[in-house]
Amino acid sequence: MEKANTDTAEVLIDCQSVWKVFGDRSGEAIRAITERGLSKQQVLQDYNCVVGVSDATLQVRRGEIFCIMGLSGSGKSTLIRLLNRLIEPSLGKVLVKGQDIATLDAAALRQMRARHIGMVFQSVALLPQRTVLENAAFGLEVQGVSRDERNRAAEAALAKVGLSDWTARYPSELSGGMQQRVGLARALTSDPEIILMDEPFSALDPLIRRQLQDEFRQLTKDLGKSAVFITHDLDEAIRIGDRIAIMKDGVIIQTGTAEEIVMDPADQYVADFVAGISRLHLIKAHSVMIPAAEWQGAVDGLPRCSPEADIDALIGQITETGSDAVAIAEGDAVVGIVTIRNLLSGVRGDAAPAPAAAA
Amino acid sequence: MEMSALIARFDAMVDNALFWLSDHAAFLFDFFRIVLEGLYDGALWLLEQPPFYVVALLAGLLGWRIVGRGFGLGIAAALLACAAMGLWPETMETLALVIAASIIALAISLPLGVLAGLMPRLDRALTPVLDLIQTLPPYIYLLPAIALLGYGPATALVATVIVAMPPAIRLTALGIRQTPREFIELGQATGVTPAQMFWKIRLPFAVPSIMAGINQSLMMAFGMVVIAGIVGSGGLGETIYGAIRTLDIATSIDASIAIVILTMMLDRLTQGAARPRNGART
Repeated sequence: MEKANTDTAEVLIDCQSVWKVFGDRSGEAIRAITERGLSKQQVLQDYNCVVGVSDATLQVRRGEIFCIMGLSGSGKSTLIRLLNRLIEPSLGKVLVKGQDIATLDAAALRQMRARHIGMVFQSVALLPQRTVLENAAFGLEVQGVSRDERNRAAEAALAKVGLSDWTARYPSELSGGMQQRVGLARALTSDPEIILMDEPFSALDPLIRRQLQDEFRQLTKDLGKSAVFITHDLDEAIRIGDRIAIMKDGVIIQTGTAEEIVMDPADQYVADFVAGISRLHLIKAHSVMIPAAEWQGAVDGLPRCSPEADIDALIGQITETGSDAVAIAEGDAVVGIVTIRNLLSGVRGDAAPAPAAAA
Repeated sequence: MEMSALIARFDAMVDNALFWLSDHAAFLFDFFRIVLEGLYDGALWLLEQPPFYVVALLAGLLGWRIVGRGFGLGIAAALLACAAMGLWPETMETLALVIAASIIALAISLPLGVLAGLMPRLDRALTPVLDLIQTLPPYIYLLPAIALLGYGPATALVATVIVAMPPAIRLTALGIRQTPREFIELGQATGVTPAQMFWKIRLPFAVPSIMAGINQSLMMAFGMVVIAGIVGSGGLGETIYGAIRTLDIATSIDASIAIVILTMMLDRLTQGAARPRNGART
């Protein structure tokens, strides 16, 4: 997984302190929250309102795949619907490409959704009366694009997801995995910059799911799209996401790269979550290495790796060469050493015993 | 005493209102009658132009095309049997009545049902009215109609239209209302206009329910057209009514058989037409 250089890229979705409160008295509840700082439980008790999303702030940058991970009821599906205003926020602002979407009128909002934000659903929602091609062309059809043009675009999108031979079929003739590919092709046909993925692979069996995860990541990167990806599966979030936000009870409790979350969980809840995650491909050499000075033996004879090499690669080096340690080098300069002991604690998820100075 | 006086006053008011209508709005009801009878005469004229065996042949071909070969052959044979019983003109009159009444009923109830499906308040307002129409004994509608439109097919048509409308309205509204949530969301997320939401998403999902409503309306229309024999509707209903008065059991049974044949034919044909085309399974 190449690390996407997204730190400096343009912010496409800027979600600022967004709240969503459901219930008949949500207006009063919101006032009570802002004025008196009421908690979720108190809001439920006093106003019989449910806080779906609570003070969520996140930024999605161009070219980035941003995962929102949470269990059912954590508010992740509500949050993703706030991003294209399928749900109106109770409080806070969502900027898409710098524009506050709350200020858009109906026509401008339709334009925004049609051209800039595609969406893929867990239920797929393919229109059963239409062929695969007609489904994939749906977005352009409602934009009034001519039949020839939209069918060409739909065919191209279906080719990208490997369904060129199925264009004339009906959705009911396709397997679940193929249907979800059509859903993805439908979102791609309109060529939006942002794709919202609402647990798209959750209903698929594990093998197909992994395959689609890899394909989705590859395709999104190749096409330079940005995506917000909702999932309840941390493994999936780690496989797909450049950055991950973890949600619980409507609150984003941690945002970071997979490595940051696994190495430095924000609280016990996240720690419990990441406990079972394999570190092999997550943790990089620079997180577990010790300063070269602490290494007793000779540095010259050691196999060399880059600071971005993951634990799996380091273990490979050590087992192949029979050496006891790997020198971590940036160019010609050795910046640190990873010993077998460091690798073992890395696999367990502990950071380097003495924090590497020049990481 | 008090109570019965009140009731008597109410009855007098209803009577007076009806008289007032027939006195002052006669031109309006004459116009209605001309339109209704025109539609009926047109349908009947079409059905009576070809000889009976051509109509039977065409119906058989239609049945073959829409339902299947066995049904097509059966329907052709059954229509020939109607002719053999000497009831061909009456059978065609009844068919023309049902067709004319259904066209009017659907022209009103399909748009109304769509509106009710889109507007919950209209739906709530319509529901008690439809309940009332469906609970009252159907021949009730013959009385005001005969007062305003006179003896004949126009009265039969009005009563039939009233009875035939509720199922189509209800099932159309239901079909429009129960578009699956995820498809509404798909439409919104795709950026469809309200009109596109209706034509491209809500309506296709409502088609099976609407077709069931049309089928039910046709069946209701058949029931009413026979009852309307009392007011001189013509057709098989009047044949049965006459046979009952003279205790002519054989003729009443013949006419009943002809009605069953017509009913089955239209029922199966509309159900067959409602089935989705090959491949487009839901």
